[in-house]
Amino acid sequence: MRRHLQRAWTACAAGLLASGLALSAAAAPAHAATAPSEIKIGTLYASSGAFAVPSQSQLQGLKYWAAGVNKTGGVFVKAFDKKIPVKIVAYDDQSSTATATTLYSQLVTQDHVNILMADFGSVLTSVAIPIAAEHHMLLIDPTGSGANFFTRKTNYLADISIPTSAVWPRVLGDFILAHKIKRVAIIYDSNDFDASQATTLKATLEKGGVKPVYYHGVPTSESNYTVLIHTIAASHPDAVIEFGYALNDIAFFHALSGSGLHFNMTFSIFPGQLLALLEKNVGTKALAYTFTYPVPPLVVYNKTNLGPNTAPFVKEWTAATKSAPNALDTAGFNTGLIMQHMLGTAPTFTQLAFHQALIDMSGKTTTLLGEFKINENGAQLGEQLPVAQVVPEGKGLKFVIVYPPNKATGKAIYPAPAH
Amino acid sequence: MRKPPAWRGPVLVLVALAAIFAVAPRLYSNESVLFTMMTFMALAQGLNLLYGFTGYLPFGYVGFFGTGAYATSLLVTFTSLPVIAAVLLGGLAAVVVGLILGPLFRLSGPYFSIANLAASQIIYNVVANEALKPITGGPYGIKIEHVYAPTASYVTMLAILLAATALAAYFRRSRFGLGLRAMHQDPISASLAGVDIVRERLIAWLASAAIAGLAGGAYAWNLSVFYPEAVFTLQISVFAIVFALFGGVGTVIGPLLGAALLYAFYAGIGVSAPQYFELLYGLLIVLLVLFLPNGLASLLTRRKVDVL
Repeated sequence: MRRHLQRAWTACAAGLLASGLALSAAAAPAHAATAPSEIKIGTLYASSGAFAVPSQSQLQGLKYWAAGVNKTGGVFVKAFDKKIPVKIVAYDDQSSTATATTLYSQLVTQDHVNILMADFGSVLTSVAIPIAAEHHMLLIDPTGSGANFFTRKTNYLADISIPTSAVWPRVLGDFILAHKIKRVAIIYDSNDFDASQATTLKATLEKGGVKPVYYHGVPTSESNYTVLIHTIAASHPDAVIEFGYALNDIAFFHALSGSGLHFNMTFSIFPGQLLALLEKNVGTKALAYTFTYPVPPLVVYNKTNLGPNTAPFVKEWTAATKSAPNALDTAGFNTGLIMQHMLGTAPTFTQLAFHQALIDMSGKTTTLLGEFKINENGAQLGEQLPVAQVVPEGKGLKFVIVYPPNKATGKAIYPAPAH
Repeated sequence: MRKPPAWRGPVLVLVALAAIFAVAPRLYSNESVLFTMMTFMALAQGLNLLYGFTGYLPFGYVGFFGTGAYATSLLVTFTSLPVIAAVLLGGLAAVVVGLILGPLFRLSGPYFSIANLAASQIIYNVVANEALKPITGGPYGIKIEHVYAPTASYVTMLAILLAATALAAYFRRSRFGLGLRAMHQDPISASLAGVDIVRERLIAWLASAAIAGLAGGAYAWNLSVFYPEAVFTLQISVFAIVFALFGGVGTVIGPLLGAALLYAFYAGIGVSAPQYFELLYGLLIVLLVLFLPNGLASLLTRRKVDVL
């Protein structure tokens, strides 16, 4: 018996030690005082799960930027007064926050990346925030726009390529009020990104005297909107606003086109960001006359002072990848541009200097995403989003920016014709 | 030959666990991986207390984990209690939820599992409801970053893992555990033999809930900024179940080995070959089901080794 116990213990300890050793990797040397041979940018992406599509687009945009700068010998680093090639270290978090937590930590503690960049969206960004702060690293946050992140002053967080989500629907609210639409239904996913937009829109409408006739949150994993759409229809809305991620939008439009119902106005977020994906999944007809936020490159900026204007960017990207860039490709690319400028202006190669460089360029920089403007909490206050309508053109669709008037490229078709 | 005391084996395992996780951060600086590994080891062990000894498989085990995470976070946010006390009360909150869900034991087999899963989703939807934003943060998540302390939360999780393992050893060696196993095999005969089935099953259920609640509290402390889905994701239940089954339920070291090895494999592939992740992980589980349906521990039991 004693021998058996000893063998059991030995097996247990060996197993546990083996697993510990399996995780061990040779630790890289600490940051050198001399110039590194490459600038390591550590980030995550999701190959599967709820955030796979936008996450991979964001990474593709970053890689496109890195390939571009590496062709010219690398990124100019002011602290070393020379160009240094960029290397992207990217791990797959599979849209899981638990996996993302360990991988962000891996990037910081094992890979010793020089710049830490978050994955797509608020959910996968949230777990990086305390890790970055703990290790005194600036977290470059391309698209994590959760209002909850930016509640106090920090040197370790900067929202780069997307406005904080609470400000997204301000223009949309103004549009609804301007068109005197009185019966509005709002359905939103129960996550920070969507719920904060729903809250802002509701507040904007109520301030204008419009109380939503339907206001309901659903789980982010919602994939069948059939019953919900019929429930919404029972409240007789003129406008139906659906705030969700791309997969929710697809499920929503599937259910809407299958229901035979029609609303005078339908709004969702991702037609303006991932139109090709939505067209492929729900068809052109289902999206006709839908309202959305047109995100660059759909909104054109011709007077940038950092990086290319929209038109040459779209042309070069299309030539290189054989497909047009979407909003998240552009967001990934834009994040690279901002980091490039940050490295090119930070006088020392430290995280605090990187942060200060971002603060210094805030309000003075326009990229193909619009004005770059962050506050001391790290929130992005520039890059405001107008309202556009997706209208049929030939066999396809085109975007017409309909609000605000100073950015409009056409007039809204309201009520939307039944199709 | 004199028989060694019954407590020697479990004590050796506890000492080994404590030593390994005390030393590991000095050898491997990604403490987050070690912390998550301990979390899943504790959860696998907690699940083992119920499933391994009573046969009730709680698909919604994550409900207790999320309850502990939120209870701890709310106590930290709204009271001035020390975080350790909040974690302990997080465990207690999970026990209270376990008591409320006690009537689920009127069901058995897959009916129990599915009802338990539904219960966890109800808790999730209540916590994530926007109407509760002033309290739970609703879909906006919760922040307790002012108490963020990775080392303290690491030590706390280690203590929880040790407590879960000690409980499993008690279940394995005690008369109480014997009653549970008898009930698992034939509840009617066990009842006729004097086993108080309702009481013992409820105790196992609450002990299992407490471990998940405590682990959830320590996890929330370590995460410090999170959304409801981060602590209520079904992936947590699935991992705990797969890890426990991989090691072998109904034993003390099985769930520990299963969680440690499989999570190390998971983390290793995630870093070295993410493109093959689904393929390799799926293959491993298929092989396990085909050749080791009773888990790794069965390799030892086949050789008449006492696996504790």
